[in-house]
Amino acid sequence: MKRKMKWSMLLLLALVLVLSACSGGGNDPAPSGNASGGEQTDTNAGDKKENVTIEFMGHGNPTEKSIFEKLIASFEAKYPNVTVKYTSVPPAEYAQKMKTLIASGKAPDVFYVGSAEFYRFAEAGTLLNLQPYLDKTDLFNPDNVWTQALDRYRYDGTSIGAGELYGLPKDVGPWAFVYNKDLFEKAGVPVPSAAAGEWTWNDMLDAAKKLTVDENGDGKPEQYGVGAYSLESAVWGNGGEFIDYKTGTVLVDQPEFYEAMQFVADLNLVHGVSPNQEAEQAMNAYTRFINGQLAMFAMGPWDQPAFWELPFGWDLAAWPASPNTGKTATWLGSMGFGVSAKSKHPQEAFDLASFLSLDQNGQRENYQLGQAVPNLIDMANGEFMEMDKSPENRQVFMDIIQEYGRPDIPYGSKDTQWIDTFWQNASKVWNGEMTAKDWTAQIKPQMQELYDKNNK
Amino acid sequence: MQTKKFSGYRRKELFWLYLFVAPPVLGFLLFGLVPMLFSIYMSFQDWDMLSDPTGVGLSNYSELLKDEKLYKSLYNTVYLMIGIPIGMVISLLLAILMNRPLKGISVMRTIYYLPVISPIIAVSLLWQWILNQDYGLLNNLLWDWFGIRGPNWLGDPDWVKPSLILIGLWGGVGGNMVLYLAGLQSIASSYYEAAEIDGAGAWHKFTKITVPLLSPIHFFVLVMGIIGAFQSFSQIYVLAVDGGPEYSGGTIVYYIFQHAFEYFNMGYASAAAWLLGILIFIVTLIQFKLSNKWVYQD
Repeated sequence: MKRKMKWSMLLLLALVLVLSACSGGGNDPAPSGNASGGEQTDTNAGDKKENVTIEFMGHGNPTEKSIFEKLIASFEAKYPNVTVKYTSVPPAEYAQKMKTLIASGKAPDVFYVGSAEFYRFAEAGTLLNLQPYLDKTDLFNPDNVWTQALDRYRYDGTSIGAGELYGLPKDVGPWAFVYNKDLFEKAGVPVPSAAAGEWTWNDMLDAAKKLTVDENGDGKPEQYGVGAYSLESAVWGNGGEFIDYKTGTVLVDQPEFYEAMQFVADLNLVHGVSPNQEAEQAMNAYTRFINGQLAMFAMGPWDQPAFWELPFGWDLAAWPASPNTGKTATWLGSMGFGVSAKSKHPQEAFDLASFLSLDQNGQRENYQLGQAVPNLIDMANGEFMEMDKSPENRQVFMDIIQEYGRPDIPYGSKDTQWIDTFWQNASKVWNGEMTAKDWTAQIKPQMQELYDKNNK
Repeated sequence: MQTKKFSGYRRKELFWLYLFVAPPVLGFLLFGLVPMLFSIYMSFQDWDMLSDPTGVGLSNYSELLKDEKLYKSLYNTVYLMIGIPIGMVISLLLAILMNRPLKGISVMRTIYYLPVISPIIAVSLLWQWILNQDYGLLNNLLWDWFGIRGPNWLGDPDWVKPSLILIGLWGGVGGNMVLYLAGLQSIASSYYEAAEIDGAGAWHKFTKITVPLLSPIHFFVLVMGIIGAFQSFSQIYVLAVDGGPEYSGGTIVYYIFQHAFEYFNMGYASAAAWLLGILIFIVTLIQFKLSNKWVYQD
């Protein structure tokens, strides 16, 4: 009997150990003797490199995951001493997981970093300065990478956009204007121009009116002219700004801003050529477009695979220009790779990040599968342009990158509450409860207060 | 020595007792108490999870009480509790229906219980489509059958909370139904027989016997319902993106989550979490005090 007790004690002890091991996180990289020879890899001295395991965490859809699995396999073939442990988490959980890992000192060596987080991470010293490594590598030719993407990942100790590189672009994401060719043809409406500035808001409104169809006469169109029209495009095209990051002044109460916002709201409220602008409706607009019930919409390069399956023709056009300025604009998104400043194998981690960001084969695979526009300028201008798939006017993507694309709004703020508040309450304008002028005047002080409190 | 007080057999029994009690107790200490103490400490710190925390005294709490959004999220949370009494009535009625000796009743019971065991995120995604303004099942039914143009359930600030209550009812009544069913079956039939002899009708039997004798279950369902409502998060996270239009769907836990994991304010979020904890504690305490007055214990 006594013996039995001892066994159960042992069992209990084992249980406790297991429990505490769980809380200690079994995710540590394999301790491959880096205490003894960790320095060796940094200097690349010696012929025989020690075996190293680095962790890489990202998010995305299954296609993205399988692309990265392939890329990592070819990376490992090129660097046989490096093993990459790749984790892909659902996008919605990513930020939470990442922050928890950083807080517990277990940040992956290489990870995705988005525009809203980059500033914080760089400032807090979470990200490794990649400049010294970039200066040494032969994989990197700065003249062949979009500066518009690279500059997002520069940090000079106080602000974003200048200084040394703390990240490398995973992709560039031009937010483009897309239209259903078949619907335009059927209605006999000339298609929008792909050249910026030629097609204005008024032209779009005219077209949208002709393309909005209420067949059964129940007062609710089965087919709309335009959906989920980008407020950023309208505001920037009209010469307005959400914020001036240099002075930290919120500018939503300026006439250029509220005129543009009113124009977007009126597409639904006055003209009835667009479904409600409310954020919740973005899903509807997407479904409508896919179903061939929406003539004009917006898309990023990552939408291509789904759009290739569509039974109708579609193509890109330039975002309509403001008649007040004759100019147009849109946002150019980007996701980046960061390397943890606490990485035990910074050289290998950098090698992986730069390989994923800049390797020719990887970039090729990425665009062929319709995930992104290549980061490499010569490839984007060359084989990407010649690609034999929709959209025909893929030049529009390039124009956005080079000419009228701008960083998305959260870029440049450490804390995004000020802009979140804006989107959250904008339904007052979209529903016609308030005019854009009155509402922006009302919300501006709140936004300014939030910005000042958390960003200055 | 204390142990000398116990005989050998008793001692062995005690040993097994502690052994079986140990895992949950250790689990609680490790994963419950330690994080709780840590979060008390954090609520007095400014911590972005990236750099070291810095002490800020009570400022997290004073900031918190000044934030309009906190009150809005509290209001939303309390609003959602409207669903609790409605749910209790429906569950009780269902339980009474399910308590009949009908053929295939167990199939019916299963059907009503199914939502309880369905994963909440998947269910929320389904509801997102059911409640879709243009393509949703619900609005299409309303139009086809009644000619009513349904509202924009999840996009209109006035309709977000009623939609969430509706979804909560669908997911919640099954679980409470089972509790009521157990309660109904434990009521001795002698009460009803005695009442019948005295000439009581169905309505009297229901109001004078069934309802009062189920009071411990009413109490349990109410307490759990209120605690659950205070803690509602997952369905909000899926259905009311960023708290919904005009933050009409943001609950207190969603508010905490946003500050902790979106805005890098872990200290502030800890303070909010403690505020919530204290609130739940007070409300539950009041309920227990009041329960003496109306809960029947035999």
